[in-house]
Parts: sequence; structure tokens; C-alpha cells
Amino acid sequence: METAEATAPEDTKTMGNDPPEAHLAKAGNGKPVHIEPDLDFIRAISVQGAESYKKCFQCGTCAATCPLSPESHPFPRKEMAWAAWGMRDRLLRDPDVWLCHQCNDCSTRCPRGGRPGEVLAAIRRESVLHYATPRFLARLMNQQKHIPLRLGIPVVLLGLALLLKDSIGNALGFSAPTGEEIVYSYSPMFPHWLLNTFFGLFGLFALVAIVVGVVRFWRALSTGDAWWGGTAPKKGVGPSIVATLKKIITHDNFTKCRARNSRAVAHFLLLFGFVALTAVTLWVITGRINPLIRTEFVYPFSFWSPWKILANIGGVAVLSGCILMIWERLTDRPNAGYSLFFDWAFLWTLFAVVFTGFVTEAMHYLRMVPHRHVAYFVHLVFVFSLLIYLPYSKFAHVFYRFAAMVFAERIGRESNGAGPSQGTGGV
Amino acid sequence: MDEKIGVFICTGYGIAEALDIDALCNVATGEFSVPFCKAVESCEGSGLEAIQDDITKEGLTKVVIAGISPRRYVDGLFPDNVIVEKVGLREHVVWCLPPNDEDTQMMAEDYLRMYITKVQKMHHVEPFQPEQTVDKGILVVGGGIAGMTAALEAAKTGYEVRLVEKADKLGGWLAKQHKSIPTKPPYRDLEDTGIETLMAEVEANPRIHVYTSAITSEIVGAPGLFDVTLVSSGNGKPAGELEGQFRVGAIIQATGWKPKEPRDSLPYGKLENVIRNVELEEMVKEHGRITRPSDGKEVKSIAFIQCGGSKEKEHHSYCSSICCLTSLKQALYLREHDDKSKAYIFYEFMRTPGKYEDFYRRAQEDQGIFLTRGEVAEVTPGNDGRLSIVAQNTMIGKQIQVDVDLVVLAAGMVPNAADGEAIRVLEDAKRTVAEGDSEAKKQEAAETVETLKQHEGSEILNLNYRQGPDLPSLEYGFPDSHFICFPYESRRTGIYPTGATRQPMDGKASREDAGGAALKAIQCVEMTSRGEAVHPRAGDRSYPDFFLQRCTKCKRCTEECPFGVLNEDEQGTPLLQATRCRRCGVCLGACPERIVSFKDYSVEIVGSMIKAVDVPDEFEEKPRILVLACENDAFPALDLVGQHRLQVNAYIRVIPLRCLGSINTVWVTDAMSTGFDGVILLGCKYGDDYQCHFIKGSELAATREKNVREKLEQMAMDLERVELHEIQISDYEKLPKIFEDFAELIEEIGMNPFKGM
Repeated sequence: METAEATAPEDTKTMGNDPPEAHLAKAGNGKPVHIEPDLDFIRAISVQGAESYKKCFQCGTCAATCPLSPESHPFPRKEMAWAAWGMRDRLLRDPDVWLCHQCNDCSTRCPRGGRPGEVLAAIRRESVLHYATPRFLARLMNQQKHIPLRLGIPVVLLGLALLLKDSIGNALGFSAPTGEEIVYSYSPMFPHWLLNTFFGLFGLFALVAIVVGVVRFWRALSTGDAWWGGTAPKKGVGPSIVATLKKIITHDNFTKCRARNSRAVAHFLLLFGFVALTAVTLWVITGRINPLIRTEFVYPFSFWSPWKILANIGGVAVLSGCILMIWERLTDRPNAGYSLFFDWAFLWTLFAVVFTGFVTEAMHYLRMVPHRHVAYFVHLVFVFSLLIYLPYSKFAHVFYRFAAMVFAERIGRESNGAGPSQGTGGV
Repeated sequence: MDEKIGVFICTGYGIAEALDIDALCNVATGEFSVPFCKAVESCEGSGLEAIQDDITKEGLTKVVIAGISPRRYVDGLFPDNVIVEKVGLREHVVWCLPPNDEDTQMMAEDYLRMYITKVQKMHHVEPFQPEQTVDKGILVVGGGIAGMTAALEAAKTGYEVRLVEKADKLGGWLAKQHKSIPTKPPYRDLEDTGIETLMAEVEANPRIHVYTSAITSEIVGAPGLFDVTLVSSGNGKPAGELEGQFRVGAIIQATGWKPKEPRDSLPYGKLENVIRNVELEEMVKEHGRITRPSDGKEVKSIAFIQCGGSKEKEHHSYCSSICCLTSLKQALYLREHDDKSKAYIFYEFMRTPGKYEDFYRRAQEDQGIFLTRGEVAEVTPGNDGRLSIVAQNTMIGKQIQVDVDLVVLAAGMVPNAADGEAIRVLEDAKRTVAEGDSEAKKQEAAETVETLKQHEGSEILNLNYRQGPDLPSLEYGFPDSHFICFPYESRRTGIYPTGATRQPMDGKASREDAGGAALKAIQCVEMTSRGEAVHPRAGDRSYPDFFLQRCTKCKRCTEECPFGVLNEDEQGTPLLQATRCRRCGVCLGACPERIVSFKDYSVEIVGSMIKAVDVPDEFEEKPRILVLACENDAFPALDLVGQHRLQVNAYIRVIPLRCLGSINTVWVTDAMSTGFDGVILLGCKYGDDYQCHFIKGSELAATREKNVREKLEQMAMDLERVELHEIQISDYEKLPKIFEDFAELIEEIGMNPFKGM
């Protein structure tokens, strides 16, 4: 009995006679689906790692082995076929693409070397680029040859702001700090009002851009041909969000992966470290207007300040998460998957943010006053690029994946939770 | 010539421990008064040398060696003028029966009686030498890749070759191809066909005489003596003009293939932009680019429909094995020409045998080639001269639609071969319609004419054979006789089909195949010139004698011969063409007058062996079962029974036959009157997937079994006394049970009432 139960979901997943769109004729208007393969899209997906994905012969091993794939219309088998046929529109409206956590269980088992995990990663990248507003910025920022531009923009913008800080400050009536403050504070060099305004404005821009992108994504999901068969949502948005948050907090999906299970730890550290850092940052910069605080902090904090402690712990978590991920991606390519510039840019930026943060902090405690200003500037450049490129970089996955997971939860596309059976029993 | 018979009895291999050798010698020297009988320790190695010495020293002309199985000897151990028969005492007696048992001894003695009788009745074989000189030249019909390769291979080996091509130049299909699929690792890139080089080589070879625009209007004769008449095929010259007359020894038929007409549900011939793969190939070869037939516009997208007309069971039910590769290749033509183009391939099964899988992968990797399983439901005209394809049950959806400039149907391969037998039946039926003696017969013949009318005028070789002007074909119209066991063999001795006419295959396979066919043809002319049989009784120098004074012109032999050996004169008298003969003896079994015999195999010889058995009388309660076993599968299976030390019933007495089809019903009568209680016939598997070396032998045996039963009825015997079994060599384990069950059956129905009469 046990074997039968364990393999039953797999049977459904591997069933060769059920084409991914089998229901379309039933659910849809009975008209054949018109296909005009998008060669540019195919080229965009055929990136390193996924270059030979067209060799897929639809055996379904990927869908059967995937611990996250739902029982009906499992992924990534259907995505492989759609991708091979350049069905761009369908893939950009496919929530399943985002349910994949790229553990590469499928890629390591694909008998044709098709690397479905990497195909889905490439499709996610295309999705981010597609829904980005404005789109050209996304295309521009995601090319290796544009690294100078990518770094140059924050340097120039930040530099300009700092150069002009006195004239702007005078015009706005901010006074230059004096005396004791000058020694211990960054304020003369980097006035708080300037940083808050500068980051606030650009942060707002990034936020608007990503919200626009996610809204467009959500609309696209909702107006697709609903190949999953359902028309009416099975859950409300509220409960779906709660369920999704629960999954994210517990890293439930990540821990099911096998080929790359160490990634759950890395991502866990990274995510919660980042949450801690963001919390501290928001807490601090909103000090003056935050009804919970309503005090002006004296910067920088002492080492034993609770905020500082939380920030340091968060920083260490992010840094170790980043190092783990980078290490894994460099040393275990088959299991970790081939990383695109898209992946590296995000990972290294994140690393650089925390690393330069720690360097600045160390210099501060060592009283290396002039040096720490340089380090702080570099730190700010990376923070700035993390922030403004959010809608155009892999950072955006936080939002799109969240939206897709909520959507999937809503339409009832849950994984069976059982994962693939370990043996071959019951065949 | 005075005959002197000698008997050697082996004492080695445990034979002396299980049998009374003196008693055996007594059978020879006492019962049969054989002048020379000797117990030897072995019949291999030094023992064999001693036997050979004794044969020369004693001047023996007929020898029986009782020891190891006859299948343990190689050819050529004994002088041609000495008849040597071997009895497998080891495999067939000692290894499968209890030692020092009365029944075991009786079986051994009976075998000795049977084989001494056999050599007494056998005549020395004189190899057949035709009155005219045997020609060793080889005729190759068809100048495509297979024909040219066969011609070249044979010529390089030193044989004169006549190469006949119907078209006005050599090359065949391959010359019409733009590129070839990859033939060597890494099996990724398209290659030049290389056909021009081959054509030049053939034309430059002094031993190859090329006839283009020619066809064979008549081939008279037999292997070694084929008289060929060539006439113009009408390509560039008036048709029917005499092109040449010559004699050859063997024929290679490399007539290739033609594309299958697509199934009716596809609008081939109705929509201009729906073409077949062969037409696309010619277009690319000729113009270097792909354009729409309707308006000459450059094609940007093609839909290939695989099995384009094949695979529907009622239409074309076999896979041609190369159409998938051809479509992949043609998709690459399009893609290599234009990076923005798209090629769709709809298939039922993608078949890329062997290493060609790598080529399939290479095509899959191409970003503009889209492959899916699926059935094409309709092809309809769309906007601006484009075509719209709707496919069902694809891998990307239940029903999908794509728009393309051109639809290419992957047409399957149909052999360019005529069904000789069908043509003959059609001719006969037409004659009956014209001159038949009863209305019923005329009616029946008219129906036959209707069913076979597609064979009208399909002759290729134009053989002057009683059984029809071309090779008989098997399933799907391929003229091969048994493609698994005996490739290149046809049912006409000395005529070897090769290339795509034998089996669907690509150019590379055709080249290899042609080499094989050339070797077959060479083997044929060489053996024929020595008066020896070709496959499967290679080297046999006996041939059938027809005592025509007693012939009743019943035509059974001329109709039943699996190889069309016998022609007929006006009255229906069989005319032997000895070099066509494969020596299976089917004619011997067919003849009700028993006028057919070989010097070493005849109704009389086998009948005498049956009668030589010493049958105990009824009261001894020792029944006797005669086993007539095909020597190709059943008899070797009996060897295996011994080798595996399986125990068998002690009452059986086995006689190997050349083919169970050579069984003459009189042998069963002989057995019954001798006192045998039953007869088991062991033949090969027959039917569509037959395993008979002589194609129809075991099937004929099955018909003869019916005649045998009639005979039994006449004798007022139980019909169960004769049983036919189909045995493959791997079935040896079944044999002991077959014998045991039959012995039980005999016990039930009782002993033969004629026993002791």
C-alpha cells in the first residue's frame, strides 16, 4: 500500500498521454492554440546552462522528480515544451515558473542534459526584464559589459549630491554640524538630511517601479488562458498571503530540494539577515518621524546598542549566506546550476553592501577617520545600486515570486508535499 | 565399381561404458556381412587420422562412423569418392539414455542398421556440369548507390560486371540529393553525398560495362548460365531497341525504391505548396534555395509531416527508417540558409536508428527547429498563400495551429520490385478468363485478375521462370527471402536483392549492403562453376534426377519448388535447371509418382532406413516411434538434448531430412508396414515469420501431413499416429516431453496392428 501511495502522484506527473494543455480543448473555446514561436525569446533562454534545453523529448522525468511540482499540470515538463516552441506569452504568464526554487533536482536527472532548472531560471530572468518599468533600464543593467555604467550611475549621482550638499543645505536651511560631532559623526561629510532625502527619493522611484511591474505581472497571470483549468479562485487573497508567508518564513519549499539542499541554509541566513538590516535601517532613518520613536538618534550607535547588535548579527548572516551561495555556485556548478550575470550581479552587490558596511564599521572603531569616509562612500554606492536596481535585478524576485506564490496558492496549485519517492518501488 | 563398406565404432566418449561394442560389431559383420568393422577409440584428431588411413588402406568406398554427432565433423575430411555417413551414438544414444540398458543397446543397433542400409543404397555423387560453359560475370540491375557499390566491389575482386541503369545516367536517388545526412562521428554535420566520386570510379573501372537507358527485357537460364537481353528504356533513345545480349553467372538486383504516394487525407496534389520530401530535395539540389511552388517566394517556414501517408495501417504499415532523418536534414537546409526561418516537424515516432540519434540531437538543439509528436488533422490554405496546419495530441497542446509557407510530406520508401509470383498468377488467371472451361472457373479467375491487377506490367527482371518473371516478394513487397537469417537471399538462386529494394535503408547502409550482395554473387558463380549448391546447403554436389518416363505432368513439383528451379514445357513436363537448385528435396516430397531422387537422398534410401529398423513384436511391449526431423533446426536441437544430458524415450528412431518439406507420404506407409507405432514430424516454424531454410518446406510438410492422415485412414489406422511439431533449435528442452507424451498416446491407442505382419 505504502508504495502505491508514494508513487501514485508520480504516475500522474509522468503520464505521457496527458499533454500539458490537454484540458484546453475542454476548458477553452475548442479552437486550436495558434503558435508562432518567438525566436528571440528562444535565443534569450538559450543562455549558458540552458543552451541545449531544446533537446527535451518530454519524458517527464523532471516533473516526476520535482519535490515542489503540483500533481496536476506539473512543472517543469510543460514549461520545457513551451520554451522549446518559443511560447513567450504563455511563459510570462505562468505562475509555475516562479514556484521553482531551482534546486536542480530535475537538472541533475534529465536524461537529455536539458537542465530544466536552469531553463526556468532563464525564463524568470526574462520575466523580470519583461515586467520591468521602464524596460530599457532592465536590458541595460543586465549586461556584463555595462558594469561600469551600473556602478558609474550611483557614483556620479551620489558624488553630485555630496558636492552640492552645502549649497542645497544652505538653500534649505540645514546647518552644518560642529565640534564634537565632527569627530565621531559622518554628518559633515554625509549629512543625514541629504542621505535620507537622496535614498528616500530614489527608493520611492524603485518602489513605484517594482509595484507597477508586479501589478502588470499579476494582471497577466489573471488574464492568461488559465491552463490550470480553474477559473474561480480557490482561496481569498488574504489567506493566500498568510499561507505564502508561512512557507517563506519556514523555507518549506527550499528544504524539499535534494540536489542543492545546503541552499536552504544559505537563503535562510541571507533572507533573515537582510530583513534584520532593513528593519534597523528603516527604524533608524525614520527615527524623527516614527511615532514609536520620536527621538533623534545620536549617530553612530555604540557597539553595544541593541540596534547595532541586531544590525551586526544581520550583517554576519547576510555575509555568510552570500559567501555560501557564491562558494556553491563557483565550486558545484552541476548541482548549483550555471549562474547568469543576472544572478552574479545581485549576489555580489549584496555581498559588497554588507562587506563594505563592515569595513566602514571597523574603520570607525579603529578611528581611521579619513579612510572610513572613503569606505562609507563605497558602501553607499553599493547600497544605492542595490536599491535603485531593485526592479531590474534579481532582487525583484522577492516581489515576483511572492506574487506568483500567492497567485498559485489562490488557484490551488499546491505541491503535493510528498516529494518524489526515494526508491523505484511500485513501478 | 566394386563397393566396399566399412564400419567404425567409437569406444571413447563413454560409449564403450554404456553399450556392448561387440554386439554392435556383430550387427555389422553378422547381419549385414560388412567386410570391415573396427572399434576405434576416437573419431577426432588421431582417431580420425586412423580412420582416414584405414579407408585408404582397406580401399573402403562406403563408410559408417558410429561415434559423435554428424554435426561435429567439418567438410572435406574424406575423399570425394568415398561415401561417409556418421551416426551420433554419443549425442543421440549414450548421452540421453541410461547406460547398459537393453533399450539403449537396441537403439544403437538400430541406428547402425539404418545407416549401413543407407550407405548400401546411396550412390556416388557426380557434380552437375552443364553442357555450356558457366560464366562468372555478374549483372547488376540498377545504377544507384547500392548498384554502383556492388558493381565496384565485384569488379575490384576481379569479376566482370555489367551494370544496367534505366535512366540516362548513373547515380539514382543520391545524385538528386543536395547533401547527405552525416555518415561519420560526431554525426552532426551534413555531408556531400560523394556520389560523383563513386560514379567516376565506376565509369573508369575497366571491368565494369555500364549500360544506361537500358532495361532487361529477358533473362533466360540459371545461375552460371543467365542469358540476358537488354533493350533501350526509352530515355533519350527509342524504347525497345536492342542494347546488348550476353551471359552472366549471377545477378544483383539493386533497383532501389520509389516514394510512397501520400495518404488521401493530406492535400498533396491539391494544394501547390504541399510537396513531398523528394521534391524538396530536388528543388534544393537544383536551385540552392527553397521557394514556394505557387509564387516562387522564398520560404521562411516549413512544416514537415512525418509518415506522410505511411503508418496508416491500411495504407502503408512499415517504417522506412530514413524519412525522419531526411526531414531533420531538410529542416537544416532551411535553417542554414536563413537564421530567422522556422521548421516544424510533426511526427508519430521520431526514428533515428543507432548513431543517428546524435544527428537528431543536433537538430533539436537548433533554435528554429520545432519538433512535436502529434497527428496532423488538417492542412488548409491561409493568408497570402500560406498554409495553416492543425495538429492534435501534440506535446504542447491538444490542438495547435501553426502557419507556414510550405508543407513537406515525408514520403516512405516502396521497393522498386515486382512480385513475380503475383504476376504469374495474374497471367494464369487472365488465360483462364479467356479460355477457361467452366463459367465458375472463369468467374473465380476474373476476381483474381481484379485483386492482382496492380501487378500488370510491373516486370523488372523479366525472368524466364515458370513461377513468374521476377523475384517473389514477402511481406510489404520486399523480395528478400529471410531478412534476419539470410540477408540478400532471394527465392531465386543466383539473384541477390540489395539496397533499398531489399529493405528500407539509407545511402550508407546501402553501401555496406551492396558489398554483401557482391560477395553473395561471387560465391554463387564460384560454387556453381564447381557444380556445388549455394546457401543453405553450400557445397552440396548432389542434384535431383527426374525419371521423366513415369512423369504424369501433374505440375506439383514445378509449383511447389520454393526456388522456381523447374521450368515446364508445353505439356507441363518439368524441365530441370539444375544450377538453380538448393537441394532441399521438396520436389522429392511433392512427387506422387516418386520419380525424383538424388544420388544420396531419395524415397528409396529413407524408406530402406525405415525398414531396416528391427521392430520387436507386439508381445515385447516395446513400441517404436519414427521421428522424421528437419536437419536444420530439429536435428541440431536433438544434439542439444544430448549435450544437456536430457533423457529421452528409448523407443524413438530419428531420421534427419534435408527439409521436412521433402517428406514423401510413402515413408509413413513404410513405417506403418514395418511395424512402427507412430510417426513424429519435426519441422521449422512456418507462417509469416517462418524459420524454414527453404522458405516453404515446413509449410508444405503441414499440407503433406494431411495427405499422410488420408493414407492412415485408408489403412484404417488411428489418425493420431502422426504428429507434426514446429521446433526451433532453442526449443530443445521441449523435445523429451514431446516424445514422452507421444509414447503415452501410443500406449493409450495401442500398438500398431500391422506389427509383425
